[in-house]
Amino acid sequence: MKTYKLLLLLIGVSIMGCSDLEEDPVGRLSPDGFFQTPQDIQTLVNGAYTHAINEKFWGRKLSVALMLRSDMVDLASNETRRMEMNDLTTLGNNGMISEFWPKTYQGIAAANEAIVGAEDVDADDVVKNPIIAQARFIRAFYYFHLVRQFGDVPYLDRPATVADATIGKTPAAQVYENIIADLEYAKEWLPDTQVTRSIPSKGAASSYLALVYLTMAGTNDTAMFQKAFDEAEEVIMNEGLYGYDLDLDFQNLFNADEIDASPEPIFALDYNNFEAPNNGYDQIAPMTGIRGDDRNSGGGWSVAVPSFAVYDTWNASDYRRAVSMDDGASINGNLEFYTNFTVSGHQFAKNRPYIAKYTRYPGAFARGNARATSHNYSMLRYAELLLIAAEAAVEIGNNTAALTYMNRVRARARMGGTTLVAGVTTTVAPSVEPAELPMTYMVTANDVLEERRLELAFEGKRWYDIARRQLGATAFGPMGLEGAKSDFSTTDYLMPLPADELDRNPNLLPQNPGY
Amino acid sequence: MQKTNPNKFLNISTFLSCMLFAMFTYAQTTVTGKVVDEQTEPLLGVTVLIKGSSGATTTDIDGNYSISVANPDSATIIYSYVGYATMEVPVNNQSVINVTLKEDLALLDQIVVVGYGGVKKSDITGSVSSVSSKELSAFPVLDAAQALQGRAAGVVVQSNNGGEPGAPISIQIRGNTSINASSAPLIVVDGFMGATMPQASDIESMEILKDASATAIYGSRGSNGVVLVTTKKGRNGKLVVEYNTNYSIQNTANELDLLNADQFAAYQTQIRANNGNTTAYPQGPANTDWQDLIYTTGSTKTHQFSFSGGSDKINFYASANYFDQEGIVINSDFERITFLSNVDAQVNDKLKLGLNLFGSLGTKNGISTQSTGLGGIGGGGDDVISLAMRYAPDQPVFNDDGTYNSGNTVGDLVDNPFAIASERIDETKEDNFRGNFYANYEIINGLEFKTTLGLSSETLKRGTFSPSILEVTAGAVNGRAAITNARERSILNENYLTYKRDIGKGKLTLLGGISYQKTTTEAFSAAGNDFLSDSFSFYNLGSANILLPASSAKSVTEIQSQFGRANFDWDDKYLFTATVRRDGASNFAKNEKYAIFPSAAIGWKVSNEDFLKDVNAISNLKLRASYGVTGNPSIAAYQSLAEYASLYASSNGETVSAATPDQPANPDLKWESSYQTNLGLDLGLLKNRFILSLDYYNIDTKDIILPNNGIPEYFGYLNDGILTNLGEVNNKGFELALTSRNINNENFSWTTNFNISFNKNKVVALINDADVFADGTPSYFSHDQSTILRVGEEVGLFWGYDYAGVYQGGALPAGTATLAGGVAGDPLFRDIDNSGDITEDDRTTIGNPNPDYTFGFTNNFSYKDFDFSIFFQGSQGGDIFNLTNVQLANGDANTTVDNFNNAWTPTNTNTNVPRVGNNSNREISSRFVEDGSYIRLKNVALGYNVPSELLSKFRLERLRLSVSAQNLLTITDYSGLDPEASYFGGGSVNNAKRNTIRGFDFGNYPTSRTVTFSLNATF
Repeated sequence: MKTYKLLLLLIGVSIMGCSDLEEDPVGRLSPDGFFQTPQDIQTLVNGAYTHAINEKFWGRKLSVALMLRSDMVDLASNETRRMEMNDLTTLGNNGMISEFWPKTYQGIAAANEAIVGAEDVDADDVVKNPIIAQARFIRAFYYFHLVRQFGDVPYLDRPATVADATIGKTPAAQVYENIIADLEYAKEWLPDTQVTRSIPSKGAASSYLALVYLTMAGTNDTAMFQKAFDEAEEVIMNEGLYGYDLDLDFQNLFNADEIDASPEPIFALDYNNFEAPNNGYDQIAPMTGIRGDDRNSGGGWSVAVPSFAVYDTWNASDYRRAVSMDDGASINGNLEFYTNFTVSGHQFAKNRPYIAKYTRYPGAFARGNARATSHNYSMLRYAELLLIAAEAAVEIGNNTAALTYMNRVRARARMGGTTLVAGVTTTVAPSVEPAELPMTYMVTANDVLEERRLELAFEGKRWYDIARRQLGATAFGPMGLEGAKSDFSTTDYLMPLPADELDRNPNLLPQNPGY
Repeated sequence: MQKTNPNKFLNISTFLSCMLFAMFTYAQTTVTGKVVDEQTEPLLGVTVLIKGSSGATTTDIDGNYSISVANPDSATIIYSYVGYATMEVPVNNQSVINVTLKEDLALLDQIVVVGYGGVKKSDITGSVSSVSSKELSAFPVLDAAQALQGRAAGVVVQSNNGGEPGAPISIQIRGNTSINASSAPLIVVDGFMGATMPQASDIESMEILKDASATAIYGSRGSNGVVLVTTKKGRNGKLVVEYNTNYSIQNTANELDLLNADQFAAYQTQIRANNGNTTAYPQGPANTDWQDLIYTTGSTKTHQFSFSGGSDKINFYASANYFDQEGIVINSDFERITFLSNVDAQVNDKLKLGLNLFGSLGTKNGISTQSTGLGGIGGGGDDVISLAMRYAPDQPVFNDDGTYNSGNTVGDLVDNPFAIASERIDETKEDNFRGNFYANYEIINGLEFKTTLGLSSETLKRGTFSPSILEVTAGAVNGRAAITNARERSILNENYLTYKRDIGKGKLTLLGGISYQKTTTEAFSAAGNDFLSDSFSFYNLGSANILLPASSAKSVTEIQSQFGRANFDWDDKYLFTATVRRDGASNFAKNEKYAIFPSAAIGWKVSNEDFLKDVNAISNLKLRASYGVTGNPSIAAYQSLAEYASLYASSNGETVSAATPDQPANPDLKWESSYQTNLGLDLGLLKNRFILSLDYYNIDTKDIILPNNGIPEYFGYLNDGILTNLGEVNNKGFELALTSRNINNENFSWTTNFNISFNKNKVVALINDADVFADGTPSYFSHDQSTILRVGEEVGLFWGYDYAGVYQGGALPAGTATLAGGVAGDPLFRDIDNSGDITEDDRTTIGNPNPDYTFGFTNNFSYKDFDFSIFFQGSQGGDIFNLTNVQLANGDANTTVDNFNNAWTPTNTNTNVPRVGNNSNREISSRFVEDGSYIRLKNVALGYNVPSELLSKFRLERLRLSVSAQNLLTITDYSGLDPEASYFGGGSVNNAKRNTIRGFDFGNYPTSRTVTFSLNATF
C-alpha cells in the first residue's frame, strides 16, 4: 500500500510544477530591446515605406480619392464614399478618409519608432544617420500628404504616449516647418544615389523640398516660389550626379518591366514582388480598367473613368494621350472602339476612353484584373521636378528658365515610342505636338499648370494643384472638364477630419470649416 | 455433453444454465430464477451477483438466471439493472428466487456528473440539464453537439454552415453573455477540459451546467456554461458486443425558383430599358440550371462496433466507429474513423485506476461556400452556393473549346459555380488523440484522493488548390496552392481530495484540489502561385514559380488553479453548496494574473417536509437558488503585450524585413466576469409521472472586452482593435422542461418531452456608450455597417435603411425619400433626418436576430416491439437578413421568379417590390429583413425490436431496426433556403465567434433532408 501512496504523490507533485505564468512570446516581435543594430532601424523604416503601398493608401483609397476629387477623373459607381469624393460632398465619416487617415499615421508611427529607436543603437553617425534620414524623409512624405489634405493635424515626432491622447492640432504652418526640417536632414545625410529609387536619395529629399516650397507658396508668395525655384534648380544642376533624366519613351514610365531602369523616377513606392496579405496590395489598375476588357484576366472594374472632355484636352497627336488613355479595347474577343465599351453590359460601363497608365503593363506579378501590380509607381518624377522649376520660374519672373523646362517636357512628349493599342504593340512615330514654345512666348502659371495636368494626368497630382492654386471655381465651374460640380466651395480644398477621431480626442476640434 | 460452442455471441447464458442444471440438479448450491419488471416482462442482461464474492452472471432473454451459491444459508444475491432500483435478496436456502425489479421512474437517484464529482440528481442545487445517450443517438450525427439541438432548455445549437459535411457546430448556453468573446461552452470529456467531442454513440450521458453554482468550479472558463460528457464504461457481468450501422440518403431541403435563360434575357433587357439602354440583352446560347448542377444526392454511412464487460476487478469498454458522408453539393464529403476505450481497474479495496483513450482521423473535402473574400477571390467568386443562384443561366458550363465558361454576363467576373465546385481542392485532415489516466485512492474511510494526468493532441492540415483552368480565380496566377498546418497539444494534471462525513442528520461533502493545464499551439503555412502543371494539387509547392510569404507561429497558455466545494445536506431537506475557484493564467495581463470565482446555492426539498410527505400527488418538490461569478478568459496568449507587427515588404526586388508598431502594452486587461442569479423549481407529480423543471436566470456580464479602447488613430498602431474591459451585457431568461409519461401500460407507452427557453439580452454599457457597428455582409458588397450595438438594445441588431415601399412617382409620400436619382419604381425609404434625400444618416435599427424563444418537443410511443418518436424543434421571433436576396434583387445577377414577376412596372404598381434595375446598389435595408421563425420536424423515427424468439435463431440478444427521417418538414415564412442561417460576413473567420453578427444568410451550405435506415445488434 505504501508504494501506491508514494506513486500517487509522485504523480501529483512532479507534474504540478508551480509556474510563474509569465509569457515568453517566441516568434513575436517585442519592442523591448528591439534596437540593437542599424539593420533594426532599417526594419522599422521598411515598415514605414510599406504602409504607403497598401490598398488603404496609394494602392487604392488615397490615390483614387485624389483622382475623383480632381476634374480629371469622374466616377462610375454609386458607392457613397466615392460619390462623396467625386461630388465634393465629403462627410466626416467618409469611408475612404477613415482608411487612409490611420494608414498615413501608421507610416508615421513606424518612422518615429525608427528615429527614436536609433538612439539605442550604438553605431557611427555615418552608418546610422543615413538610415535615420530615410525615416525622416518618409515621415515628411506622410505629413506632407496630411497637411495638404487636412491642414492642421495632430503632429507626433516620437512614439505616442498616453498623454498624447488629448493633444490638439498642430497648425499647418508648424507642420510645414517640421516637414522642411525633416527633408533638410534627409538632404544632408542621404547619399546622392541609392540602389533603387524606392529608397530616397539626396535628390529625392531636395526635389520634395522644392514641391513643399511650391505648395507653401500658394498663389502669390514670391519668396516661397524663389525657394522652390532654387531647390528645383539645384536638382537640375545636379541631374547627372543624381542620375535623373527624362525617359526617352513616355510609355516606359507606366510599364512595370521598364520603370526600374528608367532615369526618371525620383521617389517611387516599391510594390511587392508578390501579393501582400489582407487585401493590402495595389488595386489602381482594376479601379481604372475597362469592364469586360480581355486583358488582365477579367478586365477592369470601371470605377474611376474620366469624362469625355478630358480625352479631348490633349492634342490628338500628343503621344501622352495615347499612353494615358485607352480609346479602344478588345472585349469578348472583338476590337471595340470606346463608343461601344458598354457592350460588356455592365451597369457602370461607360462609352468613353479609359485611363491606361495602370492597365497596360501591370507586370508579371499582377493577378486577376491586374490587381497586385509589381509596378513601382513614381511618387515624384523628373518631369514634375522640371515643371516645379518652370512654375516657380514664372512666378519669380524668370521666363527663360520657364520656357526651357517646359520645352524639355514637351519635347519628350513629341518623341513618340512604343505602346499598346487595344493590346497590340504599336509604334507611334514622333509628332509635332505638343509644339515647342517659341523663345518669344511668355509662359504663364496657367500654362505650367495645364502642362502638369496633361503630363501628370491620373497620377494623383491634379487635386493638390487645384487646391494649392485655388483653381476650383474654374475647374468645377460649368466649363470644367466634368461640368459643374455644384457642391464645390472653397472649404473643399481641405477634407474633413475623420469624425470618429474627433470623438476620440475632442481636443482636435473644431472640424475643418464647411463640415 | 456436446462441446461448448466457441462462439461467444451465442446465447451463452441460456446454454450455460441448461448445462449447469443438468450437471448439478441435486446440488444445494445453485439458485435459479427469473427477473421481470413491474409489467412482468422478462429483463435481459440483469446483473446477478453474490454479495461479497466474485460469483456473477446475467439473465438471458427470458429473464432466467442460474448461479451457484457457496453459503445458501447466509448469502445475499444482488440484482442490478440500469434504470431500475437495485435489489438485494437473502438466499435463505431457497433454490428458486424470482424477482420483480422496480423501474427507477424519474431516475431521481441517478448520479449526475458535476465538476470533479457526482451528485444525486435529487440533491442538485444548480441548474443542470441532462441529455441521455438515447437522445444523442436518435439519428446519425457527425458531431455529438448536433444531437443536442432542441433537447435541453437554454441550449441553442446551430451548424455554422447548414448541412456541410464537417461544418463546425456552435453551442450557446443562455444567450450571448459576451460581445466579441466566444460564447462556446467549455467541453469537458471524462474530466478533460477543452476536449474534442467523442462519437455520440460512445456517450453515456451529457450534462449541461448552466448556472454559476454549477459552473463556477470551472472559474475563468465557466461563464459560457459547461458541457460535461461521460463516455460509456463496461459493466460487471457478461461480455456485450454491439454492432450499430446506419445509412442515410440526403437531398437538399430546398432550392430557389430562379429564372431560366429566356426569362433571364427578358429580365436583363428590361433592366437595360429601365436604365435608358434600348439594346436588348444579347442572350447566350445555353439554358443552364446551376443549382441542379451543383446539388446531388448525398449519403451518410456509419458502422460502429463496440464490446464491453467486466468483473469485480476490471471493467472495459472499447469501440471503433467509421463515419462517411457524401455531401449534397458535389465534391464535398467527410470521412472519419474513431476509437475509444475505457478501462477501470479496482486494484484493491482502496485503489482504483483507469485509463480513457480516444483517437480519430478525419478527412474533409470541402467546396467553397459562404463567401468571405479571403484568398484574394473577390466578387463572391469563392462561393459555389450563391454563385449557383447568381450566375447567368444563359451561359453554358463549358465554352466551345472545352474550357470552363467564366463569362458571367452580369455582375462581377467570376468562375462558374460548377467549375469551382468541380476543380477547386480544399482538403482538411484532422487527427485527434486524447488519453486520460486517473488513480483514485481511499486514504481513510470517507476521504479519497484522485489524481489525473491527461494529454491531448490535435493536428489539423488544410490544403487548398485552385488550378489555372479556373480562369478568374487562378488563371492569371497560373494556379495557386496553399497548405496550413496547425497543432495543439494540451496536458492537464489535477489532484483533489474528496471528504464525506455524516454529522447527525447532515451529510457533508468537501472537495479541494489543484489543477494545471498547459496548451501549446503551433502553426505554419506556405503558399505559391504559378505551377508547371495543374496536376500537383498542393503537394509540390517547391515547383511554384512564385512563392508567397510563409508564416509560422507558436503560442503557449498555462492555467493553474485551486478549487474547492462544500455540499451540505440536512435531513434530506435543506441543501447548501458553495464553490470557489482561483485561476491564474499566463494569458491574463501583467497586473491581473489571478482571478477568484465564487458561488453559493441553496436547495429546499419541500416534498420531504412533514406537511407534504403524505401528499401523494406531489412526489417531488424542490426549490433552488444560486448566485455566483464565472469568467470568460477571452484574452488570447500575448494579447496584452506590446508588439511590433512584421510586414511583408520588398525593396529593389528583394524581400526585406519590415516592422511597424502594432499595439502598446495593456497591463490591466482582464477576463470578462458574469454575475449570475438562478432561481429554480423542480416538481414531480403522481409518482413522477409529470416532471417539471423551471428556471429563471439573470446574468450580468461585466468587464466585457471591446476592441478599440479609444486610442486615437494618429497614435499609428496597426492594430485598430486595442482591447479594453468596458462593455456590459445583461441576459435574462426563463426555461421550462417538462416530461410527461402520458400512458404507460403493458403494451403501449407514450412519453412527451417538452422544453422551451426564453432569453432576452441587452447591451448595458459600451465604450463611452457610443454605438458600435459591425458588418455581416460579404466583403464584395462593400458595406461596412450592417449591425449595431447600442446601449439598451439587444446585441447585434440589424442596421440600415427602413424600406417604405415603392415610389409611385410624383410627390414623395411624407417622411420618405429615395436614394439619389430616384424615379417611379425605385425603392422608398424612411427619411429619418428629414433631409429630403436618403443618406447614411437615415439608417436605423431594422431587425433583431435574437429569437424570443426556442423550443423542442418530443413524443415517444412504443407498442409491443415497435417504437415511434417524433421530434419538433423550433425558434420564434428572430429576424434573418436575407443577403442572398440582396444580391439576387440587385440586377447584376440572376434573380428569383418572384422578384421578377412582382417587380414594379408602370402597369404593375400595386407591389412592394421595386422595379428591376432600380437605383439601389445592394442596399442594406429592411426590405431584406424577414421573420426567421420556424418549426422543424427535426426527426421522426420508427423502430422495431425484433422479438427474442426470432433472435435466438441468429444468436443475437437484441436486434433493432429503424427508419427515420430528419428535417422532413419546416414550417416558416422565411423565403430563403433555410431559416437556420449563420453567415458571418466577409473577411476573417474569427467572425464566427462574434455575437454581433447573427442571423445573416448568404451562401450557406444547404440543410439536407435525410432518410436514415439503422440497425443495432447486440450479441
